[in-house]
Amino acid sequence: MSDSVTTQRVPSSVARFADGLLAVDLPRLPDSNRCDAVAFIERRIRVLPSITRFGVQAIAAGVHAAGVTLGHARVRRVVLKLPLPLLTEYPRLIRSLGYAYIWETWPDTDVDGGTVEGRAA
Amino acid sequence: MTVHHDCDVLIVGSGAGGATTAAVLAEAGHHVLIVEEGPWVEQGSVVPFSLDQMDQQYRSGGVTVALGMPSIAYTEGRCAGGGTEVNSGLYWRPPEATLDSWRIKYRIKDFSTDDVLSICEEVESTLSVQKVPGEHTPASDILRRGADRLGWKNDEIPRWMTYRDGAGATEGHRQSMTRTYLPRALAAGARILCEHRLNKIVRSGRRAVSAELTDMTAATDGQNAVTISFRDVIVCGGAIQTPAILQRTGLRHRVGRTLAVHPTVKLAARFDDVVNTPDDVSVFQVKEFAPNISFGGSASHPGLVALALTDNWRDFGSAVTSWPELAIYYAAITSEGRGLVQVVPGVRDPLVTYRLTKRDRDLLGQGLGRLAMVMLEAGAKEVYPSFKGAPVVRDRADLAAMTTMFAVARASVMTVHLCSTAPMGDDDKRCATDSHGLVRGTDNVFVNDAALLPEAPGVNPQASVMAIAIRNARRYCADRAG
Repeated sequence: MSDSVTTQRVPSSVARFADGLLAVDLPRLPDSNRCDAVAFIERRIRVLPSITRFGVQAIAAGVHAAGVTLGHARVRRVVLKLPLPLLTEYPRLIRSLGYAYIWETWPDTDVDGGTVEGRAA
Repeated sequence: MTVHHDCDVLIVGSGAGGATTAAVLAEAGHHVLIVEEGPWVEQGSVVPFSLDQMDQQYRSGGVTVALGMPSIAYTEGRCAGGGTEVNSGLYWRPPEATLDSWRIKYRIKDFSTDDVLSICEEVESTLSVQKVPGEHTPASDILRRGADRLGWKNDEIPRWMTYRDGAGATEGHRQSMTRTYLPRALAAGARILCEHRLNKIVRSGRRAVSAELTDMTAATDGQNAVTISFRDVIVCGGAIQTPAILQRTGLRHRVGRTLAVHPTVKLAARFDDVVNTPDDVSVFQVKEFAPNISFGGSASHPGLVALALTDNWRDFGSAVTSWPELAIYYAAITSEGRGLVQVVPGVRDPLVTYRLTKRDRDLLGQGLGRLAMVMLEAGAKEVYPSFKGAPVVRDRADLAAMTTMFAVARASVMTVHLCSTAPMGDDDKRCATDSHGLVRGTDNVFVNDAALLPEAPGVNPQASVMAIAIRNARRYCADRAG
């Protein structure tokens, strides 16, 4: 769990998972950018059609509960590898929303999340 | 406090079906009230194909899905003007053979092909349908060049756009419903209530008598109730919302059981030069394998490029930094599969499902392979197909490998063309409405949008929607005058 999420408020299961996933996928993405992306993902999840939203939130809750017991990083790795139909859609949705937001908002972002400002520094 | 309105005709939805219907009825002297769930957004106030536009003008921010194996992502406009405000604006007349087939198979009365095409001519005039007078975008030229080199049939598709003389593709002004039919309707006395969500149509026997809505602009819950009394109601909410509204009204005969779409698979292609025009799409389509398979260009904002690479980020991700040299293309098929739209008690949004047939799956694989071939012929250095486990395609050998690896269950399948959830015709066993959109079992509930199309037409469907909506609206006026 990165500081960007934990310092603000109690995050949702979706936010925790999204934050961890983006932190691993894009390690050089600035915390503030990741925080914005996670907030965007949460907003979009909130306006999903009812049944899809219930499904996503149920999976998110299950993944979070498993993470509390077994460790979030470990569970995240398992979720990414398990070829279960609905479960695989969860990280796919999170990544799709997150990546779309990041590259639309900061099109110069590197593949590892690095930014122009980061490169200059 | 409840606000109450009265009207002759309540039109639910203001897209290609609702706006045209409103214009015809209002100009014939009917007292028309249009209700629209989304906001009125002026053309040019949001960047086309951007996430901001999706927030403002799409249902659920553009994240809607028909569940299945695989699930199919789809989008619905949710704003004044509906899908015409946000789509590519490409205009295709319904093919004559398709109209002939629908007339016979679904027993549609008074549905001569000549009459429908004559209405298409009127629509083309109203919407200023035309080809680009000046230069095309690089992304358009790629499709044309690749298809030409393969000797495959391709053509520029006209759009509902106005251009100054010699203007290029990106300089057009979209002639969507908020620029054309809605102003006509309003000028003839129609009224529109935007950001009003329909909750319920109240029936008394075979007649609908009133509607209950929520004004989503009201400051507090206690002040947002709206009721509308009407003589007739015409539902034009699109292929997903219209059947949901009908089912919630207790009208279920053949409603929501035959959703038809054009499923598409995509790829991103990388070239040596800058080819990405974020705010526009290709106006060329490849029709060599039509109607089964068609190729075209998709919106290619950097965010959408990242999205197209997501499924294989480890192998494809590095391309995202070259997004100006990438453009996204699709292969669309005519599908034999069908889907369901079903309301679930206690849940606001309907459950949407879709099942692809084996033939559909095969066609999607063939389409993606042939589309990649077009890209290579056009000079693509690398092609990135949108399915999990796909290889980067750099030559014909990679293409052969990609074709054998393709599995639709691992592909990102999507669609923007949805129809046929309340098909029209006199064949009671197939159709939810009569030949002019009157819902079976009712005296005054009509449908007049994409839901009426008996099948997906194999081309961009909004010309078909507008023409059929105008036809039915004129019939309505004639019947009510009589």
